[in-house]
Amino acid sequence: MTLAHYLTVAALLFLIGLFGVLTRRNVIGILMSIELMFNAANVNLAAFDRFLHPEGVAGTTLALLIITVAAAEVVVGLALLMAIHRNLGTAYVEDFNLLKG
Amino acid sequence: MIEHAYLLPLIAFFASLVMLFAGKEDPRSPLPWLGIGAMTACLTIAVSIFWSAAFGGGVLPYERNWRWFSLAASIGGKSFIVDMSVGTLIDGPAAVTLVVVTLVSLMVQIYSVVYMHGDTRFKRYFAFVSFFTAAMLGLVVSSSLLVTFACWELMGLSSYLLIGFWFEREGPCEAQKKAFMTTKLGDSGLYLALLLIYAKVGSFQLSQIQQFFDNGFMPATVATVIAVGILVGAAGKSAQAPLFIWLPDAMEGPTPGSALIHAATMVAAGILLVSKTYFVFLASPSAMEAAGWMGLITAFLAASMALVSFDIKRVLAFSTVSQLGFMMCALGVGGFTSGLFHLTTHAFFKALLFLGAGSVIHAVHTNDLRRMGGLSKKMPLTFLTMLIAVLAISGVPGLSGYYSKDLILADVWNHDHAMFWILLFTALMTAFYMFRLFFLAFWGDDRDHEKFSHAHESPVLITGPLVILAVFSALAGAGLDHDGLVSKLLAKPTISVMPGATAAAVAVPVDGAKAETAGHEARGESSGRGERHESHLPPWLHMTAITLVLCSITLSFFMYRGPTYALADAVKANLAPICTLLERRWYFDDFFYGLVALADQAAALAFWIDANVVDRVFVDGWGLLMLIFARISDAFDNIFVDSAVDGVGSLGNDLGVGLRSLVKEGQVQEYLMYAAISFSLAATLILTR
Amino acid sequence: MLEHIVFYSLSTLVLVCAIGVVTMRNTVHSALCLGLCLAGLAGLFASLGADFLFAAQVMVYVSGIAVLIIFTVMLLGRASDLHLRQVNDQWMAALLICAVSSEGLLKIARFFSGTLATTAAKPATRDIGRLFLGEWMIPFELVSLVLMAALLGAIFFSRSEASR
Repeated sequence: MTLAHYLTVAALLFLIGLFGVLTRRNVIGILMSIELMFNAANVNLAAFDRFLHPEGVAGTTLALLIITVAAAEVVVGLALLMAIHRNLGTAYVEDFNLLKG
Repeated sequence: MIEHAYLLPLIAFFASLVMLFAGKEDPRSPLPWLGIGAMTACLTIAVSIFWSAAFGGGVLPYERNWRWFSLAASIGGKSFIVDMSVGTLIDGPAAVTLVVVTLVSLMVQIYSVVYMHGDTRFKRYFAFVSFFTAAMLGLVVSSSLLVTFACWELMGLSSYLLIGFWFEREGPCEAQKKAFMTTKLGDSGLYLALLLIYAKVGSFQLSQIQQFFDNGFMPATVATVIAVGILVGAAGKSAQAPLFIWLPDAMEGPTPGSALIHAATMVAAGILLVSKTYFVFLASPSAMEAAGWMGLITAFLAASMALVSFDIKRVLAFSTVSQLGFMMCALGVGGFTSGLFHLTTHAFFKALLFLGAGSVIHAVHTNDLRRMGGLSKKMPLTFLTMLIAVLAISGVPGLSGYYSKDLILADVWNHDHAMFWILLFTALMTAFYMFRLFFLAFWGDDRDHEKFSHAHESPVLITGPLVILAVFSALAGAGLDHDGLVSKLLAKPTISVMPGATAAAVAVPVDGAKAETAGHEARGESSGRGERHESHLPPWLHMTAITLVLCSITLSFFMYRGPTYALADAVKANLAPICTLLERRWYFDDFFYGLVALADQAAALAFWIDANVVDRVFVDGWGLLMLIFARISDAFDNIFVDSAVDGVGSLGNDLGVGLRSLVKEGQVQEYLMYAAISFSLAATLILTR
Repeated sequence: MLEHIVFYSLSTLVLVCAIGVVTMRNTVHSALCLGLCLAGLAGLFASLGADFLFAAQVMVYVSGIAVLIIFTVMLLGRASDLHLRQVNDQWMAALLICAVSSEGLLKIARFFSGTLATTAAKPATRDIGRLFLGEWMIPFELVSLVLMAALLGAIFFSRSEASR
C-alpha cells in the first residue's frame, strides 16, 4: 500500500464532505458532512506520519488535537442548533435568513 | 580657572533665564540682584583667568574641546566623518576682553538698578542685559567659529531687544528695525565667509583653521574673499562705514544698555572677530588694506559728524563709531596689539562716558546739550568722572586713551604717512568734540533754569560705578602698558610663510609701503621678537601730536566755555555749508533712504510691468487659450467620454440586476458555495500548474 | 495481500457510507451511516499503525460524536422531514466544484504514488504522551481551554429561554 492510496481515499472523503456541506438542507446534515471533512484531514495526517516520518508522532498528535477540536465544534454546533430550533422551529438552513438584506 | 572658562557664558545665560521666567514683573523685583551676583561670579572667574594669563604660569592659548556631534556622510562614493566640537579657546585678547566685558556689565547692572528703577519692565531689562553678556562671553571664549557666529547673532538679538526696549514709542521701534536690518546685511557677509571657510578647511575650529592658513594651504584669492566677508560682518556689527547708520539711532534704548552694548562691548565684537581671525587678514594684504581704509574713513566721518550734534547720546554714539574706526584702522595697518589695546581702554572710558551721560540725563531729563550747562556745581562727582573720561578719550598723556591711541598712531605712521595725518586730524577732532560736549554740559551758566534747578547729584549706586570705571579709565592704560604686559598678552599672531607659490601669494605687495611692511614683519618674526619694536612715533612727532591735542582742547574751551557762544556761532555762520553737510550726517542716511526709495520705485515699475504686460499677455492670454481648450475638451467629454462612462455604468447595472435575479440572498450555503468555488479554482490552479 | 484486502474493504465501506451520509433522505439513516463511516475510518487508522488514534477515534467519534448526533436527530426530527427533499437545488454546482477540486487533490495523491512504508509500525502512545507533556505542552493546554469554552458554550446555548 502506497501513500497515494490513503491520500486518494482522504481526498474522496473530503470531496464527499464538501458536497454534503454545500447541498444538505438540514443543519445536522451539514454538521455530519463537516465531520467527514475533519476525518479526511485526520487520515491525511496519520498517513503522512506513517509513510514520511515514521520516527515521529507529530502527525498523529496533531490528528488528536483535531479530534478534540472537532468534538468541541460538534457540541457547540448542536447546542446552537437546539437554540435556533427552539426559536425558529426549523432545522433547515434556507429558513435561517434573518440577516437577509 | 582657565579650564572652566565655559562657566562664564553659562552662568550669565542661566541667570538671564531665571530672571526672564521666574517671578512676576514688578518695579521693585529683587531679581536683578541675581544677575548682579552672577556677574560678580563671572568677574571673579574672568579676573582669575586674566591673572594667570598675565602673571601666572598659564600657557596661552589654552584650548579645550568637547565633541558636539559626529556625522558620517557618503558623497559620491567617498565617506566622510564630520566632527563638530564646541569648546573654549582662551588667548591673550580673550583673557583681557573677558575682564572688560564682565566688569563693564557688572558696573552697568549696578548702575541700572537705580536708573531703571520704576520701569514697568524692570526685571526684563536685566534679563536682556544678562543674556547679552552671556552671548558676548560665549563669543569671546568659543573655540569654534560656528558657536561664535551663533553668539554673534544672539548679541544682535539682544541689541535689537534693548534698542526697542520702550517699544511703545515710535522712535525705538524704528531704531531697532534699522539696527537689525543693517547688522543683518553685514552678517550675511560673515555667513558667506564662514561657509567658504568650512568648504575649504572642513572645520570650524579656530585652531585648525589657523593651522590651515599657517601651512599656506589657502589660496590668496579665497583668503581675500573670506577676509572681505568677515570685514563686512564686522562693519555691520562694529558700525563701520557705510553701515554705521544704525548706531546713532540705537541710542533710543535705555542709556546703561547703550553703554554696555552700543558703546563698550558689542560694537567691539566686530573688532574682536577680526582679531580672532587675524590670520585670514595676514594671508590677504589687500583685505588688510581695505580694513585700514575703512576704519580710517569711518573714524573721520563719524568724528566730523560728532562736531555738530547737540544730542549728548548722539555725540557719544558718533564718538564710538569714530573710535571703532581707529581700532579697525589699527588692525588694518597691522597694529594688532594697538587695536586691541584701544578696544580695552575704549571700553572703559566709553562706558564711563555713557554712564556719566546717563547720570546727567537722569538728573535733567533731557538729551539736549543746549538745555544743560553749569552742571559741575550740581553734580560734582559726575563732573569729575566725566572729566577723567573726556581726558582719556582725548588722549591726554597719563590717562589710558593716550597709551592706546599713541600706539595706533605709531603703527599707522609706520604704515602710511597720509593715513597718519588724517588719523591725527581725527584725533584732534575727537578731543575737540569731546570737550565741546563737556563744556556745554558742565561749564558756563545754566541755560535752562527749570532743568538746572531740578538737577541733583545721582545716588551712590550710580556714582559708584562711575568712580570705579573712572579709576580703570585713568589707570588701565598705564597698567597694561607697564612692563610690556600689553605686548605679551595682545601679541600679534604670526603666520608662517611657506616657500613657493603660497609664499609669493602672501607676500604680493599692494604697494611699496606694504611690501616694506611685510618684509619687515617677516624679519621681525624671524628674529623671534614677536612684537614689533618700532611702535613709537619719532619724538618730534610725538610732541607735536600732544601739543596739537592740547591746542584743540583749548580751542574747544574758548568756543564753548560760555556764557555767550559768539565764537562758535561765528564759526558756524562762516562754515554753514559744511555744518549742514555734517548735520545731515554726510547724507549717508539720505543715501540709504534714497536707495530704499529708488528700490521702491523700481519695484513699482516692475509691478506695473508685471500687471500690465506680463499679466495681460502671458497670464491672461494663456488663460484665454486654456479656456478655449477647456471648452473643446468639455464638449468632447460630455458627448463621447461621458456616454462611454455612462454606458459602462449602465452595463454594470444591467448585469447586476440580471445576476441578482439569478441568486437568492441570505442563504448560507450559497455563500459557502461561492467560497468553495473560489477555493477550488485557486487550489486547482496552484496545484496543477 | 491481507493488507490490500483490509485497505480496500475499509475504504469501500468508508466511501460508501460517506456517500450515504450526504445523500440519504432520512436523517437518521444519515447519522447511522456516519457512525459506520467513522468506524471504518478507525479501521483505516489501525491499518496505518496509529494505535492511539484508533482508540481515540473509536471512543470520541464512534461512541461519542456519532451517538450525540443521532440523539439530536431524534430529538429534533419530525415525521414531515421524511417527505422533504434533503438536498437543495445547487447540487449540480456542488458536484462541479468537487470535480474541479478533485483534479488538484488527486494530483497530490499521484505525486506520492511510489511512497511505501519503510519501517514496521510501532506503538506510539508513549511518544504521544511525552510530546503532549513536553514540547507540545502549550497546545495541549490550549485544547483543554477550548474544551472548557465549548462546554460552557454548549450549556449556555442549550438552556431553555425561561431559565436564562
